Amino acid sequence: MGRWAHRTHLAGLLLLAAVPACREAGRAPPPASLAVTDDAGRPVALTAPARRVVSLLPSFTELLFAIGAGDRLVGRTTWCDYPPEAVRVPSVGDGMPPNVEAVAARHPDLVVLYRSGPNIMAAGQLERLGIKTVLLDLNLLEQLGPAARRLGVLTGRRTSADSLARAMDSLASQPPIPSTWSLVFIVWDNPPIVIGAGSYLDRLAALAGARNVFHDIGSPSAQVAIETIAARDPDFVAVLSDSAVPPRYAGRPEWRAVRAVRARRFLFLPGQLFGRPGPRVAEAVREFRRRLDQAP
Amino acid sequence: MKYVLLAVAAVVTLAAAVLLGPADVPLRDVLGSPIVWQLRLPRAVLAFLVGGALGVSGVALQALVRNPLADPFLLGLSGGAGLGAVVAIAFDLPGPWALPLAAFVGAVSAMALVYRLGLMGGAELDPRILLLGGVAVGAFAAAITTAIVSLAQATELRNAFLWLWGGFSGASWTTVLVILVYAPLPLGVLAAAARPLDLLALGEEPAQYLGADVRRLKRLVYLAASLLTAAAVAVAGVIGFVGLIVPHLCRLVWGRLHRALFPTAFLAGGILLAAADTLARTVVAPRELPVGIVTALLGVPVFAFLLRRWTVS
Repeated sequence: MGRWAHRTHLAGLLLLAAVPACREAGRAPPPASLAVTDDAGRPVALTAPARRVVSLLPSFTELLFAIGAGDRLVGRTTWCDYPPEAVRVPSVGDGMPPNVEAVAARHPDLVVLYRSGPNIMAAGQLERLGIKTVLLDLNLLEQLGPAARRLGVLTGRRTSADSLARAMDSLASQPPIPSTWSLVFIVWDNPPIVIGAGSYLDRLAALAGARNVFHDIGSPSAQVAIETIAARDPDFVAVLSDSAVPPRYAGRPEWRAVRAVRARRFLFLPGQLFGRPGPRVAEAVREFRRRLDQAP
Repeated sequence: MKYVLLAVAAVVTLAAAVLLGPADVPLRDVLGSPIVWQLRLPRAVLAFLVGGALGVSGVALQALVRNPLADPFLLGLSGGAGLGAVVAIAFDLPGPWALPLAAFVGAVSAMALVYRLGLMGGAELDPRILLLGGVAVGAFAAAITTAIVSLAQATELRNAFLWLWGGFSGASWTTVLVILVYAPLPLGVLAAAARPLDLLALGEEPAQYLGADVRRLKRLVYLAASLLTAAAVAVAGVIGFVGLIVPHLCRLVWGRLHRALFPTAFLAGGILLAAADTLARTVVAPRELPVGIVTALLGVPVFAFLLRRWTVS
């Protein structure tokens, strides 16, 4: 059975490899309206709006649905669980790194990838099979608008993509409201890894009225000493978690030096809404503010 | 004189570890500061004890396998500990001590397996079998670890490797107490084996003729050194270089007698690791460096310098 599946994949790959050669003959220059430059600096031009799209990041899946191109999706990752309709799209694996064969087997005319080392390599392999790819950055709030615009161009959903992008751009350019609380995002406890200024979460917290005590660290995340967290004395420890169970380290003696841990002031943020930049960013800010206001 | 210098260095290092840190604690508040009492002091003491344990364990294992490349983690222990840690995270074992306990169990299991391999067919812990067995068991454990990481869904698994690279973020008086209760037994066993280990350096047969019970000696030394290392892994992860370099360093300065090597390797290992951890916490504050990087950056140049002096003379 497994061997059979493998063989059909292989046949598919061979077929796909043959396609670009056939197309070579009567190629007309693509209309400029369907061309963008991706974040790897590559020009991406389609001859017609993409009709079979594989999204390899939950954020892209959400964006595609938000601009009304959800019905074009023919592949997603196992992590893509929003909106609920997304779950009906066939999964091509966890996408880390992308399973090129599984992606190609969906016969996509566009694959949307997050720009990272392994993904750049996978994009190269897909391009060699004649499949168009677009590599986009999506680490920060201000990258949401440009990503939405380019997905709109490539799927022919320009108008709705532009209006979504405008909303996100205006949120991104909004000055943060005066902070009433301070918090630390602890991603891992041993060694302690915290979120720094170069991240979506730092910005989200600022828009919700909470100051990240590690805003002075420029990178997205960094290893710090518990001592530093204790000295900066945040009001809350923010935890990306779907449940409200205090993290394991809360029971360890060394963490009791941090006041917010001692007082069990944890702010639980469900990963589906807060763990990724996406079209629901305004909702995430509102929900963040609500959780801060209701916190003990 | 050399001993006095070593003792002074130990005191200075521990004092620096307590006084320096990323948080600003004024000198007059040091004695009353919870940051010093709950975090810095236990962390400095733990780093010193783990460094000492790794130094001693390195001396013992290098003597046992009579190979200058031997390192406390060589005999499959790091692979076993890594597997234990990943299992703890992948299967979400509950409780604040799940990860260190699982790592300890993993390390001890790997040790038991290598030990068993080392006794097969009357090999009697032949150094070659031990080294090969250690590498094989380590590779096997690493393969299972990677399989779990690539198949399991937990996104935290990537972080298991961060823990494995070692560090003292988990230090508290509880972990210090665990080491203080646990370490004296293997340390005592090794100290008692100092004289027979000197004889073993002459070769197994000569040592036997000179009255050492080589079979028993090898088993005891292997178990004691490995159990010491397993405890170090459980509280601090896999910290490289200390157990490899400190024994050589001490041999270059104090000669080859284990009566002198064990205490000096304990102190030198403690100094190196406590100093490395202090630097790891302070040089890039508010960020922190993984301590293994600092031990290598500190230890390797010192080692290279001594090695040059040694080969020139």
